Amino acid sequence: MNNDYMVEIVELHKSFGHHEVLKGVNLRVKPSEVLVVVGPSGSGKSTMLRCINGLESASGGHIFIEGMDITDHRSDINVIRQKVGIVFQSFNLFPHLTTLRNITLAPVKVRNMESEEAEEKALRLLDRVGLREKAGAYPAHLSGGQQQRVAIARALAMDPDLMLFDEVTSALDPELVSEVLDVMKDLAREGMTMLVVTHEMGFAKEVGDRLIFMDDGLIVEEGPPEDIFTNPKSPRAIDFFSKILSHL
Amino acid sequence: MKVIGDRWKKALWWAGSLTAVGLIAFGIVYLVKFERGQEFVDEFLNWKIFKETFWYVFTGLRITVTVALVSEVFILVAGLLVALVRISRVKLFRGLAAVYIDVIRGIPLLLQIFIVYYGVAILGLKMNIFWAGVLALTICYAAYEAEIFRAGIESIHKGQMEAARSLGMGYFKAMRFVILPQAIRNVIPPLSNEFIALLKDTALLSVIGLAEITRRSSEMFGKKFNITPFVVGAVCYLIVTIPLMRLVQYVNKRLSVSD
Repeated sequence: MNNDYMVEIVELHKSFGHHEVLKGVNLRVKPSEVLVVVGPSGSGKSTMLRCINGLESASGGHIFIEGMDITDHRSDINVIRQKVGIVFQSFNLFPHLTTLRNITLAPVKVRNMESEEAEEKALRLLDRVGLREKAGAYPAHLSGGQQQRVAIARALAMDPDLMLFDEVTSALDPELVSEVLDVMKDLAREGMTMLVVTHEMGFAKEVGDRLIFMDDGLIVEEGPPEDIFTNPKSPRAIDFFSKILSHL
Repeated sequence: MKVIGDRWKKALWWAGSLTAVGLIAFGIVYLVKFERGQEFVDEFLNWKIFKETFWYVFTGLRITVTVALVSEVFILVAGLLVALVRISRVKLFRGLAAVYIDVIRGIPLLLQIFIVYYGVAILGLKMNIFWAGVLALTICYAAYEAEIFRAGIESIHKGQMEAARSLGMGYFKAMRFVILPQAIRNVIPPLSNEFIALLKDTALLSVIGLAEITRRSSEMFGKKFNITPFVVGAVCYLIVTIPLMRLVQYVNKRLSVSD
């Protein structure tokens, strides 16, 4: 365990019944690093991400977030989760609340922040994702891209030190992808530590400090995105990138 | 009811109307042809007896509505709690709730009323008829409404719970602020139908002597030896149930429009 790392994953295993999805993942992420996670579907990328904030519980191994072991049942998962924001593929905004209340709910109910303060903060965050004028709108009245930007603002409202992005553009119409990616690029420039599971190779190249390629529950390759794109070493990665990058 | 097409709706409407017209025609023929008209009116729609018994029976309406409303408050609380236990992560709790729900739903309400009323008395607890009735109705209806609440909660996509938990909310905060507000909106239609059923089932409390509509009707029947007091009772129920059914229909429509 080393406190210099934002995330440190040691020999992480995860099984669903008899099916082993993660087979011993080791990973370290430094503060302000943008790590891009790619790999074929079923390779365990999303499961790894979900283990990092405890949405899935590890079957074996350890995950340290800023030195705190979330696999230790003595640590308070609700406290650790406040440091780790996650954005989902399917947005998961709260449909019964306005955009503004979606963002203020956790600060008010978890952090006991005053409503006015939380609202001011929410409006600042909405400015940041370019949606201040949608503060009073319900999620059903927003486009997919707008919903996803609100979801990012909602996660940021808890002042996380780490942000997890789980294929956040996969459910979007193609013309809406860039507005979400732009928000993420801004975040990366501001020094947020980010773990990004994505199929957007352009984004990976432009923003990613490091890329890991996962296959069959293991990290197979690791390095600067450009290097791995141009010079993958394992047969599985060569095959994967030849298929994906031929479309760029 | 979007499941039924317009053509079927029309066919059903015609079938229903024809049946009704047929029955009425048969009734008229029966009464007129066999000269039973006066007898029928005397027994079922005796205006004199109607006037004599109406106020006595109608007074029971207040008790019927009160016992239903008071029970409903306890039923909603108990039903929601049972539902939460039913979906608890602790297997033992889940099992206990499931047993409660199955057992209660498998026994006639009338029998449950007897068990509660005499049981309470034999245990030496002082409980008047009204509260024994409330207790029996609560025990019974909480089981049904627990299942409605559970279905409502389970209909909320699991991503909602994940999103709430990942923001640092504990299970109960996530339930309270994210899941239940959505679930409760979904269960308002079935719960309002349950309330109408409850209102009518209070009639069963007449067997333990609660002076509600049905009890009073049957007392008057015994006194006058005439069916009319029961018709008076029916009218008293309809005064409440028909507007209530319309209200439920209206609310459901509003709820589905804003979806």
